[in-house]
Amino acid sequence: MARRILFIEDDDHMRGVLALSLQQEGYEVVEARSGEEGLRRLEEGGADMVLVDLRLPDMDGFEVTRAIRRSTNVPIAMVTASGDTHDVVAGLEAGADDYVVKPVVAKELSARIRALLRRGNTATAPEDRAQRFGDIELHREAGVVRRGGEEVPLTLTQFRVLCELADTPGWVVSRAQLLERVWGYDFFGDDRLVDYHISGLRTKIERDPSNPELIVTVRGLGYKLVP
Amino acid sequence: MSAGSRRRRFGLQARVILTFSIGAALVSAVLAISTFYFVRRQLVSQRTKSILHQTFVNARLVKLELGAPSAKIAGALSAVAPENGVHAFIYRQGLWYSSSATVSGTAIPKDLSRTVVRGDVADQRVMLDGVLTLVVGVPIPSINVAYFEEHPLTDLASTLQVLGTVLTTVAIATTVGGALAGWLLSRRLVRPLTEVVDAATEIAGGTLDRRVPADPDLQPLVTSFNGMVTALQDRIERDARFASDVTHELRSPLTTIGASVELLDSYKSQLPAGGVKAVDTLHVEVDRFSTMVQELLEIASIDAGAAVLHFTDVPLGGLVEVTVDGYDPGIPVTMTPEARESLVRGDKRRLQQVILNLLDNAETHAGGAVGVDVRLDERPDGTWATISVDDAGPGIPLADRDRVFDRFYRGAASGKRGDTAGSGLGLALVAEHVKAHAGTVRIEQSPAGGTRISVQLPVVTG
Repeated sequence: MARRILFIEDDDHMRGVLALSLQQEGYEVVEARSGEEGLRRLEEGGADMVLVDLRLPDMDGFEVTRAIRRSTNVPIAMVTASGDTHDVVAGLEAGADDYVVKPVVAKELSARIRALLRRGNTATAPEDRAQRFGDIELHREAGVVRRGGEEVPLTLTQFRVLCELADTPGWVVSRAQLLERVWGYDFFGDDRLVDYHISGLRTKIERDPSNPELIVTVRGLGYKLVP
Repeated sequence: MSAGSRRRRFGLQARVILTFSIGAALVSAVLAISTFYFVRRQLVSQRTKSILHQTFVNARLVKLELGAPSAKIAGALSAVAPENGVHAFIYRQGLWYSSSATVSGTAIPKDLSRTVVRGDVADQRVMLDGVLTLVVGVPIPSINVAYFEEHPLTDLASTLQVLGTVLTTVAIATTVGGALAGWLLSRRLVRPLTEVVDAATEIAGGTLDRRVPADPDLQPLVTSFNGMVTALQDRIERDARFASDVTHELRSPLTTIGASVELLDSYKSQLPAGGVKAVDTLHVEVDRFSTMVQELLEIASIDAGAAVLHFTDVPLGGLVEVTVDGYDPGIPVTMTPEARESLVRGDKRRLQQVILNLLDNAETHAGGAVGVDVRLDERPDGTWATISVDDAGPGIPLADRDRVFDRFYRGAASGKRGDTAGSGLGLALVAEHVKAHAGTVRIEQSPAGGTRISVQLPVVTG
């Protein structure tokens, strides 16, 4: 079944031609020309992933991202005019999973989408026995994280980051490794993607997110999950 | 001219300190010297008066003693019985009589003795055996003798020496105090200016919202300085906003055009031969146009001060290998093991762009890069990584090497505008990016015969 991509972009020409490219790649593309329309479409038919421009006529991409995040863990990629500005940081804070910079090249875009749509690496889990870290339980097959029996709502990307760290408990995983395994970047991924998702994960699973005990930073190397 | 240059040689602070110390030295020297001489005169005249008085008393005693019949001079001298190193002498008819066996009256200055013998009272300070001594003579005409006394002024001399020492010390201390006062005052004088200098430095470093706090002494300077910075900040922010707006407005159509051409390209098999040629041309031109616009926007944003570099520790090995491999896996990369393992502090994307633009430059002007070399050099200012891109092209004449990094400079390809012409901004951007990374760019003769362009970047240590 074709994966469904919701594309929220007010520039008709740009949206139209990128939608054609994505359809050529085998995706089903739902188009929306405003944030309002995008949220409505998402509610009506759902989506496997959302592509949202940061500059929209009614509500900006950050608001759209926050609104989507309130109800679903679907991967969100934002389209930004520059990778330098604080747009990227604000977007990641709002809950975006990745970003593409204009001019968007169709091939690059579909590579990003492929990476974000990749399911967690459940295959590497020997069986669906929960892994425990502190008071956290990770059920890979079910795609669920529980804390004291209660389910913790993680985004798909946060869940995948956690799974990567849980593959080698106690061992440091570098930002470059996470960028490659979770986001599909070869070398030129943005470290901020990793840092913001780790910080998002911490606020959800750490007792004291400012003083993490589960996901600890190893200066200059990366992150590790304390077994 | 000469006055100006002298004023420049000594700063304001140095001049204030110098003025204060010279002033203090002069005043304290004058005070010390005049005090010394005044006190000395007072002390000496007091002592002289009291010695004269005593000598008169003794002279009267001598007159009484010698006035008696069968009186002896020795008896008279012993009657005087001088103490404390004082010696008494009597001169009569060319002969000297002394109260002491060891001291002779002949040591008394001749001028003095002559004056006294002639009938006048006289005193004189002389050095006798290294001791300041007051010699006093009183004539006693009634018995035809002259009476002399030598009073050593040892205590007076030592008092004056102590006084001299004290005054000298005070004078030196005053001079040092003057210098200190000058230093403090000069610091107070330049402190408001220091504030302005600090602010200017911070503003130059990018802290555009820095202002100089109000200072009553420098109100006009502070007001106009802050006004200038505000105007500058407005201007920079306006430029940055414009650059950002232009960026946004241009990048969307670029996306549309690029994606349309890609789509067209994928339908090429269904096009007639003429259409295929048109699509191919379009593809090349759109790519070139897109690159040029992006490089222009990048340079505009650097010029507007709006470029925000995102610095991380970038592994040099991965950077070069992934970039060159992505450009053309056929280009050989040589790298020392230390270079492969090292990190450079930088913006990953921009460092990648530097290497890509160097490869592009070789492609455009010299038929492609024939090798990329990466090595480390130890220099006095740290470890540096050198990334060199070699080509086997015609090389760049020495005279043109400076201009290669100018915007829109195309060298021999200028005016050609075929599909071999680059954007003309690639190397200018290389220079800008490398500068932003505190590095350098060099053009040399390549061992391969063509041009070698190398970039030096500081390596992260520790």
